[in-house]
Amino acid sequence: MNDPAPNPFTNSGKLSCLEMLQLVLDGQATSEQIAYFKKHMEVCMPCYKSYSVDMMIKDMLQRKCCGSGIAPETLDSIRQKISASIKPL
Amino acid sequence: MEELPIIPDGPRQNYSDAEKGEIFNQEFLPHIRSMYNFAHRLTLDEDDAKDLVQDTYLKAYRFIESFQKGTNAKAWLFRILKNSFINDYRKKIKEPSKVDYQEVESYYNSDEVDRQITPDLRVDALKDMIGDEISNALNALDVDFRTVIILCDLEGFKYEEMAKILDIPIGTVRSRLHRARNLLKEKLSEYAKEMGYKNTAS
Ligand SMILES: [Zn+2]
Repeated sequence: MNDPAPNPFTNSGKLSCLEMLQLVLDGQATSEQIAYFKKHMEVCMPCYKSYSVDMMIKDMLQRKCCGSGIAPETLDSIRQKISASIKPL
Repeated sequence: MEELPIIPDGPRQNYSDAEKGEIFNQEFLPHIRSMYNFAHRLTLDEDDAKDLVQDTYLKAYRFIESFQKGTNAKAWLFRILKNSFINDYRKKIKEPSKVDYQEVESYYNSDEVDRQITPDLRVDALKDMIGDEISNALNALDVDFRTVIILCDLEGFKYEEMAKILDIPIGTVRSRLHRARNLLKEKLSEYAKEMGYKNTAS
């Protein structure tokens, strides 16, 4: 795949704030990278502010949009239709 | 519009009927809640979502020999669902390669610009959004942007998995996610404004 941006934390090249923030936010950073970023936030106000807001949104998405409110009957009826269509099961 | 291949080309397995049943029940069916949520967020309609999930599972069973036991069943299923959605539910579709190219281009040249246009939104305002604001904001996004947020933030897929599910390069996954987050924040800022929060940096 022609990915123009390999994981920059592994190179010694300096990473922009935005790139670090995105890797952490996207759940792609290793624990060392996260630790590094948390230290960085102590001295970088823009990163600290963006991180707080972005993580709050991510948390809201996970709490409110993950389908915890799906009616069990809905899932049951789909399961039944599927197994009715597949004989050997 | 050409139909997207439902199943990628690859080696085929030889399963007995018992093995097929076992894979289906133990590796495929446990993802039904995530699959329904994904389908519902794509179609924004309960009946369409049910049909799409059902249809996806039937296809998964039909093509089960293209699935290698023990590999990432969830990513495999999500790819089928997303391609079925595009083929069957989304008649109008943009020319993808063109859009993707522009996305990558603008992303890698726009670090500074993005910093400035990122909507100003505060944690206090978000804390007061206790209703459906976040869900509505997500559903209001263009389907391509909605999809990457679902895959990354709701389902926890990695860049590489998302690239496979969406048939796009990893660089495009990253740029699309970045833009999706900004669009989501724009939407939430609008809600915050309606709730009476002033758009001043604190
Ligand atoms: Zn920073």
